[in-house]
Amino acid sequence: MTASRFLITLPIAPGTGPDPRAAAPLPPFVTDPRRGRYGPFDHLAEAGRAAEMAGFDGVVAPFTPEGEESLVTVAALLRQSRWLNGVAGFHPAVTTPVYAAKLSASLQRFSDGRLAWWPVVDLDPAVARAQGDFLEGPDRYARADEFLTVAKGVWRSEDYTYEGRFFQVLAGGFHGPLSGRPFPAVYLSGTSAEALDLSARHADVHVFETTDEAALDAGIAGLDARAAERGRAPARALRLRVLAREDGEEARAHARGLEGEALAGSYEEVAEALRGYAARGIGAFVLEARPHLEETYRLGEHLLPLLAEEFAHAD
Amino acid sequence: MPIDIYWRIGTHGDQRSLRNRLVSRGDWSPVVPGSIAPGLRGGRPDGYSHLDHMADVARASELSGFVGGLLPSFPFTDDPWAAAASLARETTTYRFMIAYQPGFLHPVQAARMSATLQSATGGRVVYNIISGGGGPAQLWWGDKVDHDDRYARTSEFLDVLKGVWEDGPFDYDGRFYRVEGARLPAHLAGQPFPEIYFSGSSPAAIEAAGRHADRYLSWLEPFPALAAKFDQVREHSAATGRTPRFAVRVDVLARETEEEAWEEIRRGWRHVDPARLTGPGATGDSVGWLRGQSFIDWPVRGFRELEAAPNVWGGFHLLRGGPAFGLVGSYRQVAARLDELIGLGVDAFVLAGVPHLEEAHRVGERVLPLLRGPVRTPVLTAKGNL
Repeated sequence: MTASRFLITLPIAPGTGPDPRAAAPLPPFVTDPRRGRYGPFDHLAEAGRAAEMAGFDGVVAPFTPEGEESLVTVAALLRQSRWLNGVAGFHPAVTTPVYAAKLSASLQRFSDGRLAWWPVVDLDPAVARAQGDFLEGPDRYARADEFLTVAKGVWRSEDYTYEGRFFQVLAGGFHGPLSGRPFPAVYLSGTSAEALDLSARHADVHVFETTDEAALDAGIAGLDARAAERGRAPARALRLRVLAREDGEEARAHARGLEGEALAGSYEEVAEALRGYAARGIGAFVLEARPHLEETYRLGEHLLPLLAEEFAHAD
Repeated sequence: MPIDIYWRIGTHGDQRSLRNRLVSRGDWSPVVPGSIAPGLRGGRPDGYSHLDHMADVARASELSGFVGGLLPSFPFTDDPWAAAASLARETTTYRFMIAYQPGFLHPVQAARMSATLQSATGGRVVYNIISGGGGPAQLWWGDKVDHDDRYARTSEFLDVLKGVWEDGPFDYDGRFYRVEGARLPAHLAGQPFPEIYFSGSSPAAIEAAGRHADRYLSWLEPFPALAAKFDQVREHSAATGRTPRFAVRVDVLARETEEEAWEEIRRGWRHVDPARLTGPGATGDSVGWLRGQSFIDWPVRGFRELEAAPNVWGGFHLLRGGPAFGLVGSYRQVAARLDELIGLGVDAFVLAGVPHLEEAHRVGERVLPLLRGPVRTPVLTAKGNL
């Protein structure tokens, strides 16, 4: 797996920035020269290109029923980039594991191995039911475990049979050119015992979503202990929103206009905060910044260079 | 009514010709000097993937006047959703006819994938709904549902997919699917629903097609058999008040003269051992395949014995992977046969030829202009999502 240090989140959910879908309709007497030319997907494609050009290691297309489907989105963005890794968030009950693996085997072939998965297990029950999923509680983690087991099984074995509670395969397994590529890097998140157990078994990267230092330390310790029992050591990532400007005053002035929290500061202050998380064991960052296109360029030009040395790709 | 003409894309590489089954495009054979996508430069892989070749075939098809292409799906092929999403932004008028089995994707997921692709392409997604050939391949996919139930599931799948697309928030409680409050994101709603090309030859398939198909897509068969099948679909459609339309998947081997065309077949036939041709026999539960084999008088020794009707040849599967029947003849003969099919009520074709890239140009230049039926010209439309 290529280690991705810096990933940026794509503007998948609506209302995440000044993009065409968020703009108020223009009154009829105004000529909009973009009509029919600039749509939501164009905005996503631009965000993907920006991440590639600005030197990010990857993009995350989060799972959200309110936005574009992530596998389709990532496929298009991988095709228009050379270096970018694409992390596709999806609910593992919406395809069979064989089909998810099959589709992904092609994407690995097309992108020379730059696809990653982020199966999302812990969904609000109403959201899950709208996806056709009525399973609740710890069973969801049992199903996700089967999903990943079967997907990896058909990927890595030419004759694979599995009879589980949720999925089955008889004499499955990929052959010929569909076999032999690396399985997509698996991103997982969550803080429950079941979530950490699943990560211990299957994650290449576990993504924490808290900036509270005590909670982060506890989460890392829990993950590491569970993974060590299995002889595994998933990388640890932190997802956070950033607002970096030339000086801290400017950044904090902008941050006052935001809904929700963001790590706001000068480029050097934000870099220092990320170094602090790195010292606690965080090896990768899933950043969010809006508006996407502009902030992706800004972070690529101002923040990433400050961290280039300590996060130099050692592998 | 203009005729929609699609061209197939090989999702498992391609041969240089029908003369030899060796796959030299895509990496289904060892990559050696002469391989294409990936090829070798100075003894090392040149960095191109099969997708790059597929992109070239898509562009050739677009340039040659086809409205789009069929992307087939089998256990050994690249995946059509992956290919369509990858190529969405590199074509302008090309419609992606995505073959898929409803059983493997939840309809809500299929709706969001399709709406995303419609947004990315300006509405160029078309479905080829297949319900599976059964047998070991079906279990390979992890699907244990039996033949007739697969069509019942397909029918439910399309009900849910359309419900989510048109009427969200949508509730459904069926045999195979259950959803509560399913809908598309607001900014992806209102896209055109993909046209449905529906495949399957059994009574269960024909009944499901009567309910759901925009076009009933059949493999090529001798014309009277095809006409009888179309009548069955019309009958089932009448019950639901729908008027069915028909499409045929046709391999073409067309040359300046008929002799030249058969000479290509003869050269390919050198690698076929007639003693090993045994007639009907299939490992799955595909009714279409058994029908195809029933049109031939077995045993067969020479390649012309597979010509079930003038220019209708049932041996393509012996020279490349895929269905048995296609048309062999001069440009004029092939165009005349296609016109006869139009006369039976066909208003769309999925054509194919080996190799797909070069033959797209040949058929576009030499056969399509001879058709009497007006052919739909691809038109660049606005992306349609504002």
